[in-house]
Amino acid sequence: MAEAVFAQFLTGFSIVAILLIISLGLAIIFGVMRVINMAHGDFIMIGAYVAYVLQYYLHLNLFWAVPAAFVVLGLLGVVVEWGLIRQLYGRPLETLLATWGVSIILQAGIRLTFGPELRYVKAPDALSGEFPVPGSNLPFPYFRLFIIVLALVLLLMTYWLLYRTDLGMHVRAVNQNRAMAAVLGIDTRRIDSAVFAFGSGLAGIAGVVVAPIKTVSPIMGFKYAVDSYMVIVLGGVGRLAGTLAGATVIGEGETVLAFLFNNVIGELLVFTMIVLVIRVFPQGLFTIQHRRTENL
Amino acid sequence: MIGLTGLSRSQLIIALAVIAGFFVFPLYAGAFRTDQLGLFLCYVMFALSLDLIWGFTGILSLGNAIYFGGGAYFIGLALKLQYAATHATRYGEGAIPDFMTWNGLTEIPRWMRPLRNVWFAAPAGVLAMGFLAFVFGVITFKRHIYGVYCAVITLAESLIFEELIIEKQAYTGGFNGITDYDSYSGSLHFYWVILAVTVFFFWLSRKLTTTHFGMVLRSIRENELRSEFFGFEVANYKIFVFTVAAMMSAVAGGLYAALNGIVSHQDIGPILSIEGVIWVAVGGRGTLIGSMVGAILVKGAQSLLSEQFAWIWDLLVGFMFILIIVLMPDGIMGALLRRARRRRAIAAGRMPAYEAARIEETPTT
Repeated sequence: MAEAVFAQFLTGFSIVAILLIISLGLAIIFGVMRVINMAHGDFIMIGAYVAYVLQYYLHLNLFWAVPAAFVVLGLLGVVVEWGLIRQLYGRPLETLLATWGVSIILQAGIRLTFGPELRYVKAPDALSGEFPVPGSNLPFPYFRLFIIVLALVLLLMTYWLLYRTDLGMHVRAVNQNRAMAAVLGIDTRRIDSAVFAFGSGLAGIAGVVVAPIKTVSPIMGFKYAVDSYMVIVLGGVGRLAGTLAGATVIGEGETVLAFLFNNVIGELLVFTMIVLVIRVFPQGLFTIQHRRTENL
Repeated sequence: MIGLTGLSRSQLIIALAVIAGFFVFPLYAGAFRTDQLGLFLCYVMFALSLDLIWGFTGILSLGNAIYFGGGAYFIGLALKLQYAATHATRYGEGAIPDFMTWNGLTEIPRWMRPLRNVWFAAPAGVLAMGFLAFVFGVITFKRHIYGVYCAVITLAESLIFEELIIEKQAYTGGFNGITDYDSYSGSLHFYWVILAVTVFFFWLSRKLTTTHFGMVLRSIRENELRSEFFGFEVANYKIFVFTVAAMMSAVAGGLYAALNGIVSHQDIGPILSIEGVIWVAVGGRGTLIGSMVGAILVKGAQSLLSEQFAWIWDLLVGFMFILIIVLMPDGIMGALLRRARRRRAIAAGRMPAYEAARIEETPTT
């Protein structure tokens, strides 16, 4: 029993990694623009279809799909940001609803193009097979290890972008105080655009790595999106540590509890825990102190 | 009459004419269209309840189908149990609904037995949903969870409820839902009952929003923090209106289940929750009429068009919805009402034209 739980715990890390890739983008977008993108799950779905197209029509393996999906979704992000979100600046709830419209369009568009059937994507041959986890005999698939490594790389890359580059400094400045940042000469619109493209690109990468684990279908993204919204609620915005903590708690919690009870009870328990946590920390676990004058 | 409704004479005449139109509609339309309109009226009630919490109070909840679906499941279950009890040849002596037998239940669970009486199940369902909304409301609003956070959390609630319903299939029929019971489909009297309840809910919503209470709700929508500084216990107002709206949704859901003859997990999930918000946004939030018009318009167009162009319809809804959000933030009715208000003001000489232009920018009430 203990060993089985440990095995689930290990598998959980790959779920955490996927959630982390998704929520990194979402958290930065939400931090800077105060906007929840309801189409984020569909960006994941499109990333998965990018992997599918590359594999079945161009016979390229999954590694190529990672940068391809990042670019495709990044461009889509720029278009959505420029065409829609910018038009609704300062109205977060309207933006949320409008991006739901984007979600409907993307799902319908994919269904028209590829049909509603489930599609399957193979993991690259180099990553097939399993290896024993050191210190025990538990097998662990190479592909899941790849996801974990990829997530860590992306996390470090995001950290480097945010904390070691000028662009990242501007992003953090806009995150903390948009008006003041604008006064100091930061082009906030350019930041919005860049941040949204980056976040969307990450969603695309998440879609690529999810594709071989789950089946690819037009509605596959929604569940992941809701989980990553919960990551943001739990972890707070403005700090990468919050996103990491949120993704870890939710990913591991859902995996291990799903094994001990069942999927739904696991989700229910995790959700209850999130609600209890935000009763104590309404802004999430990790947050930067803001002056609360936005609402006055 | 005018004192009771708070409507002006001309508004009252229009309202009565519309109600009369709905009243006589089934006498000229077929049974199919009557049933359809009855279902639309259930959606209208759902939209009204969403308008109360979103349009007037500014709480964007993406989980209100929980209460609609919850009410629907109470009634669906009750009617199914009743059907099983009265069809002994099909369901045997134990009167156990088929989906329970399939999932290995040999008798109806003790806690579910009172539901065999529909007249108990109906108020029980409404009260249960009210209580649930009260609990969720306390959790959410007492801690100042508002705006996007509130939307995301209610969305997750709705998703979890849908999954629970699918998971607990021995009690809920699971993925297939509850089907195969005596519905009130084709009953003229039941249609009129639905119409009467709709009218009552419209009246109730008007009472809630045109009184001093409604003023406070609107002030919360415009600026929550300032309302609190004025000494209003914002959380309590929100919890109250959230609970009332949930009970309205539950009633609408119950009527829906009784008319539709099938209850499924989609009636409780996030899709319906968000769809409801779309109706309100399209029709015009913060105007009770708008939300009702929106529900009938979107649902009506959907059922007329989607039979032939199912996938195209989704695309259309997406684009239409985005366009309305961007170009008509107050929805169709909101835009119309504002224009009418402005024209009236100019015609009455109360306001020079340049001032009237400003009305265009302020939200309608």
